[in-house]
Amino acid sequence: MQLRFDTIYKNIDNIIKGSTIDLSDVDFIHPWPLVIICLLMVERHKNPDKELILPKNPDVLDYLKRIHFCDMLRELGYDKEFNSLNKIVKPESYNLNVQEIMHCNISDEFNARLGHINLMFQNFGLNKDQANFATNIVAELGNNVFDHNSGNWPTDIGGCFIVAQNFPTEKQIEVAVGDPGIGFLGSLRARFPHINDDVEAIKLGLRGNTGRIGEDRGNGLGFVQRWTIDDLYGNLMIHSGNGLVEIGKNGIKKSNVNKILGTIAQFVI
Amino acid sequence: MILEMKKFGVILNNRSAGREAILRMKQIVNGIQEDELIFDFMGVELLTPSFADEFFNGIKQSYQDKKIILRGYEDNLVIKDVLKELNLI
Repeated sequence: MQLRFDTIYKNIDNIIKGSTIDLSDVDFIHPWPLVIICLLMVERHKNPDKELILPKNPDVLDYLKRIHFCDMLRELGYDKEFNSLNKIVKPESYNLNVQEIMHCNISDEFNARLGHINLMFQNFGLNKDQANFATNIVAELGNNVFDHNSGNWPTDIGGCFIVAQNFPTEKQIEVAVGDPGIGFLGSLRARFPHINDDVEAIKLGLRGNTGRIGEDRGNGLGFVQRWTIDDLYGNLMIHSGNGLVEIGKNGIKKSNVNKILGTIAQFVI
Repeated sequence: MILEMKKFGVILNNRSAGREAILRMKQIVNGIQEDELIFDFMGVELLTPSFADEFFNGIKQSYQDKKIILRGYEDNLVIKDVLKELNLI
């Protein structure tokens, strides 16, 4: 089973089995599904019966070890799985295309990593201007996470998960930023109480609306769209609640998918 | 008066940092008689819309009598884009 943006939703019922997340048949995993897995783990982290079945494929296990997935397992209380994955002893190969998962619990932690993220994009092969555009996209996505969730996280796990991967053969970079927060709908309802649909909430957010009452703000996502599509010739995907919106140069695509806690935004360039 | 933005950091991100920078600015600028405030972006690597929006809205409100001039951004495509989109240049 290959877990990519375009296959995760077809396979998600095979992965989620109540409190168990079953990755046993996974042969390849991209950033977007990896962030979904992190959010599923957050949702279940207080459940005493929680379980994550690690992939059987040794290459995927090596990859998960290499990107420090162990840290997520330990942080979210998946001790058995942490011990199992942590047993893999392999020298970390110097591969600039592979980056560790980042979980920034607080805004300052996120801010402090932006310099590293900028270098990561340069190591992926982007030139200085492209790396600056890409870093600013991550910065605005991360800022939104903290601006709209601080003090109001649905569980006791907050912050944002960042997963980035360069696929040099495909000449593609994927960067996913996810958060176990209140989502677009939860944030915008304060100002637009009539909205009750996740897709509509995402579209409203993309048009520059904000849920923060009495404040003149809310243009960050406009920059994110324009930089992704016009300057980096890429696509932007946002999944919040059960709404999924994809935006590219050919327009916007909307759908309803499995409900998640919070939001994931990804840009592919 | 010339203010070097890099002294607030080479990565200028988020609204709370923008608000803090305004408070520092007031400490530096208040009482100064010059009628121009020149913000020099030379050496700044990243400027996000969040920081720029918060910072310059605050500056404009606090110093309505002073002329605001921005410079040193010309070679940085992203900083230039942010300032242009926010109608600051």
